[in-house]
Amino acid sequence: MPRIEDIGVFNSVRETGMGKLVPTVPRIAVGMGTCGRGNGAEGLYHAFAEAIDHSGENFFLTSVGCFGACCQEPLVNVRVPGQPLLILRQVQASDAGRIVHDVIAGNITPDLVYCKVEEWDHITGVIRYGHGYPEVPAWSEVPFFKGQKKIVLRNCGLINPDDIEEYIAVGGYQALYKTLIDAKPEAIVEQIKAAKLRGRGGAGYLTGNKWEFLRKAVADQKFLICNADEGDPGAYMNRNEIESDPHSMIEGMIIGGYVTGATQGIIYVRAEYPLAVHRLRKAIEQAHEYGILGENILGRGFKFDIELVEGAGAFVCGEETALIASLEGEAGRPRPRPPFPAQKGLWGKPSNINNVETWYNIAPIVTKGPAWFTETGSAKSPGTKVFSLVGKVHSTGLVEMPLGTTLKTFVYDIGEGGVGGRTIKSVQTGGPSGGCIPHEMFDTPVDYESLAQLGSIMGSGGMVVMDEDNCMVDVARYFIEFTNSESCGKCVPCRVGLNKSLRILNRITTGGGRMQHMETMEELSRYIRDCSLCGLGQSAPNPVMTTMRHFRHEFEDHIVAQRCQAGVCTELALSPCENSCPLHMNIPRFLQLYKEERLDEAFDSVILDNPLPASTGRVCQHPCDERCRRLTMDASVNMREVHRFIADSVLLTDRFEAAAERLAKRALEHTGRKVAIAGAGPAGLTAAFYLALLGHDVTVFDPLPEAGGMLRFALPEYRLPKPALRREVELIERLGVKFALNTRVGTDISLNELDERFDAAFLAIGTWKESWVYLPGTELKGVYPALPLLESVAKGEAVNLGRKVTVIGGGNAAIDSARTALRKGAEVVVVYRRERKDMPAIEEETEAAEKEGARIVFLSAPHRIISDAKGNVKALEVVKTRLGEYDKSGRRKPVLTEEVQRIECDSVVLAVGETVDLDFCKASGLQIKSDGTIEVDRYRLESSRPRFFAGGDLVTGASNVSNAMAFGKRAARAIDEQLMDSDVGRWASLFPKMQYEQTPPKDVSESGRHTPHEMTVRERMQSSAEVVMGLSAEDSHEEACRCLRCDIKVTASR
Amino acid sequence: MSALPTLPDGGEQAFIDQTVTRNLGRPGALLGILEAIQEHHPHKYLSAEVLHYVAAKLDIPLARIYSFATFYALFNLDPQGDHTVCICRGTACHTRNSRNLLESIRLELGLGLNDDDASGEADKLSLTTKDGKFTVRTVACFGQCALAPVVEINHRICGHVNERTLQREVRALEREAE
Repeated sequence: MPRIEDIGVFNSVRETGMGKLVPTVPRIAVGMGTCGRGNGAEGLYHAFAEAIDHSGENFFLTSVGCFGACCQEPLVNVRVPGQPLLILRQVQASDAGRIVHDVIAGNITPDLVYCKVEEWDHITGVIRYGHGYPEVPAWSEVPFFKGQKKIVLRNCGLINPDDIEEYIAVGGYQALYKTLIDAKPEAIVEQIKAAKLRGRGGAGYLTGNKWEFLRKAVADQKFLICNADEGDPGAYMNRNEIESDPHSMIEGMIIGGYVTGATQGIIYVRAEYPLAVHRLRKAIEQAHEYGILGENILGRGFKFDIELVEGAGAFVCGEETALIASLEGEAGRPRPRPPFPAQKGLWGKPSNINNVETWYNIAPIVTKGPAWFTETGSAKSPGTKVFSLVGKVHSTGLVEMPLGTTLKTFVYDIGEGGVGGRTIKSVQTGGPSGGCIPHEMFDTPVDYESLAQLGSIMGSGGMVVMDEDNCMVDVARYFIEFTNSESCGKCVPCRVGLNKSLRILNRITTGGGRMQHMETMEELSRYIRDCSLCGLGQSAPNPVMTTMRHFRHEFEDHIVAQRCQAGVCTELALSPCENSCPLHMNIPRFLQLYKEERLDEAFDSVILDNPLPASTGRVCQHPCDERCRRLTMDASVNMREVHRFIADSVLLTDRFEAAAERLAKRALEHTGRKVAIAGAGPAGLTAAFYLALLGHDVTVFDPLPEAGGMLRFALPEYRLPKPALRREVELIERLGVKFALNTRVGTDISLNELDERFDAAFLAIGTWKESWVYLPGTELKGVYPALPLLESVAKGEAVNLGRKVTVIGGGNAAIDSARTALRKGAEVVVVYRRERKDMPAIEEETEAAEKEGARIVFLSAPHRIISDAKGNVKALEVVKTRLGEYDKSGRRKPVLTEEVQRIECDSVVLAVGETVDLDFCKASGLQIKSDGTIEVDRYRLESSRPRFFAGGDLVTGASNVSNAMAFGKRAARAIDEQLMDSDVGRWASLFPKMQYEQTPPKDVSESGRHTPHEMTVRERMQSSAEVVMGLSAEDSHEEACRCLRCDIKVTASR
Repeated sequence: MSALPTLPDGGEQAFIDQTVTRNLGRPGALLGILEAIQEHHPHKYLSAEVLHYVAAKLDIPLARIYSFATFYALFNLDPQGDHTVCICRGTACHTRNSRNLLESIRLELGLGLNDDDASGEADKLSLTTKDGKFTVRTVACFGQCALAPVVEINHRICGHVNERTLQREVRALEREAE
């Protein structure tokens, strides 16, 4: 190994390195960071070695670090002389052979190719690989890398970290050389100051100033310390930087040492990073061999050495004074500052501590100058930062972006949105010192200042994405658990305060929370933040404070409603299916009862949880299916079909009478209180059911001639046969509920009259008004708004739809209209302005429509309806859209293009949305929200007018049957509590204590999921009988036997 | 300085003496010394006798050595099992259900869930089975977030672990032992 002592040797080492980086034979480099290894990179390397050996050809096989796209590991670089560098992704050992083969044949491996690099700017140098492969995207065009600027990560994934010669080949150690030759340390300090480089560990203190302090200090020894104790959970940038490019750090430190007068460097690295430790040791060794560390560096007479110290698992040692204490052989407890380390640091000597990433910026600044550096980023925060984008996001990995980039860019452009179709809820930044930023605020730029305004910090760069399946209360609890555990214990507010906060959060997540706990936590948080000595305590309350600020309703849900919507806090729910059900049906119970062949009791269980089980059994959007634990084995239990079967078996047979009598017996004593319900739809019917059981005198008003609302007059017969609905309504009538049909509240009876005649009212009139859409031509003959169309069909009236029908919209009303038109023999086209996955309609309905012959055209927005000479519809003109930026709903906004298409048709059905018809409540004293829905108290469902409650679509906007019913159920309880001025026992007494098997099932059926038979398409067109024919008794039983009984919670004991 | 105690195992004592000599005076000396001693022991721990010896050898009060050894999570004061299963409890792993992994492995190995104190999860968990075959512990974060959820089994990082794959790995180790 040549010791480099002059420029001649330096250049020859560089040439040798170049010869390895861009050899005259094909070069294959396997990504061997810990991520790569965790994905099988070692085996992959051996597979390549074998394949190359086998081929008998000359190859250069080596390993590199990580390029950053961790979700695509294992990554392999392949380069044929004269051609661009190709990066292959998700390469398996079994692919090695054919890749080698392809290289020899001069081909690329198309299914594994990720991107190419024609020229790479290493900042300290440039490598030109070659031009070619026009069909392969450049690395900067790939969504994950678009917009990234690799300064810190300039060498990662491209050079062999174990080979100093490759580092020198790309320009490494040139900045050091220049620094030593120029021999003007003050100039370097000025450069760092002019670049406004801020500490990348999180605090963001100006590095140049820190160096100046150290430089000015007078002492016989000074220390430079690199803080590589990256402890933030979710952050692993430093690990990758060290594993992939250790020499950058060493170079930064030697320059720092020269400039500040320190001769001893120490790298304090976490023990949890064994590969990083190994790479550093090797790099330090090599640097010594080549004369870059130790005595007489590069022959310039400067002496500097680096010691490696491994940490021992204490997060708090990331705090600089605690780190120093740890190095001195003490427990890592922070010390008060002043004195600052630059005055009195390690062993009382002036010391400087910088984060790993700060060091990586030094050589670039020295090489290219401060003006270049400040071109990137923002005025107060120049440069880039490496972030670890992890969690519930599609593309995870390490991302280096200019400071000031928005969260939206990270999550949706680079990360490419959520996983599994889930909606993203928030991003947690800055680790345990940071906070959670909600979705609505994703326009926030990421830098030191902007995040602070929202209560968070950028910190070390961790970015954990969370979706609707994450509970924010649990997240707060998780972080307090962490900081409480890592607290050094010195300060009472931190040691005791965090512990108290943890206990409170534990109570909230297990059902013992009270509203006063929120105030206590706020107070505790302030004390902990203001009275702790070090950064750990000062920032530990941030996760709690931000979640309480931005997600307050989740806390309230846990405390007041005792519910965890995300389903994470398992003590608050019976089982995942029960938790996800809007009605919180005790699903395991009815499945078990039916398994035990106790049909009548299974029915009782069902009906008491869900008064419309036959209807919902056919049209519910079944959120339970996505939560069922059986899903992790094969497929979820078809709970909806089983409760449909149970309901049909009783409601539509001679068991009905007995069931109705049993139910009537459960009613409580008459209370003498009168309740009015406006709307006989799902919400109203459900409220009526429970209020009657609670003993109240209920009257339901509805403008239509029959009860059922949209169930009766919008949902078509082939989806929901009316006999089943009629029986459900009859059951409710048998409880004594009175129906005043053909009576419209607001017109035929005013709200004031309801106020006089009744003790309370529940408004559930739904969204029956078609949303207005700006579309020229809606006045033409042959244009039908969807809801009135469906209502007419449901009433059995004659409807003259044309032969060629175009339906505009993507919700259930659109699909129902389409399928209705198909049954009238029409050709149907459905036009939707977004993509299939954005459609609000239930997936199986959309699929059924297509199966029946409907053609769905996506990314098309209606432009105008064209008429013929007589004023009839002739065609619909649509404008093609493309998807633009993400909006607040987490979906991409359709943006109009120039492309226009024409769809020939003679009828157009408008199904773009439904809203509330607010005519009924003019001057009623009811507070109305900006979107036209009624404002109610979140938990009591009372409106701004006393004794008037509201629920269903009237409150939420157009939604679905089960959600509406959930409101009815909750409203009934709330109304009863108000009327009877008590909350003890009345509601609970409605529900029976049923005896059934309570041990985990030993005989779980291994059968796959049963799905009901469906009519053939031809049969469907010939009759209006229901398409989905339900399960047989045997299949329903077998399905019930597939349940794993997640409701049984067993405490483990030995 | 009082007379040095002697350790029952002469080989261990010699190792400790060498380690101390090698590290004395360097920054982070005590960290390095204890880490080396622990790694050298077949059961990867620091016994009470060893702590006494190191205190005397370095002429530091035992209380300080004990404070140091108990402060850092890496140091074990009890013998570790033949196999170590370390569950990562970092944020990314937590959002991908590492808590359930921890519960399930504890159930699998009979390290019951009743032993925790009232504040929730015991911090810096480290439980060893009675037969000394397995130790289950947690780490705050391995820094392998893209592989979440992560479990380290005998110093081998395993990514994308679920309850089934974890069970399989552990059972394979159980069989090996027999």
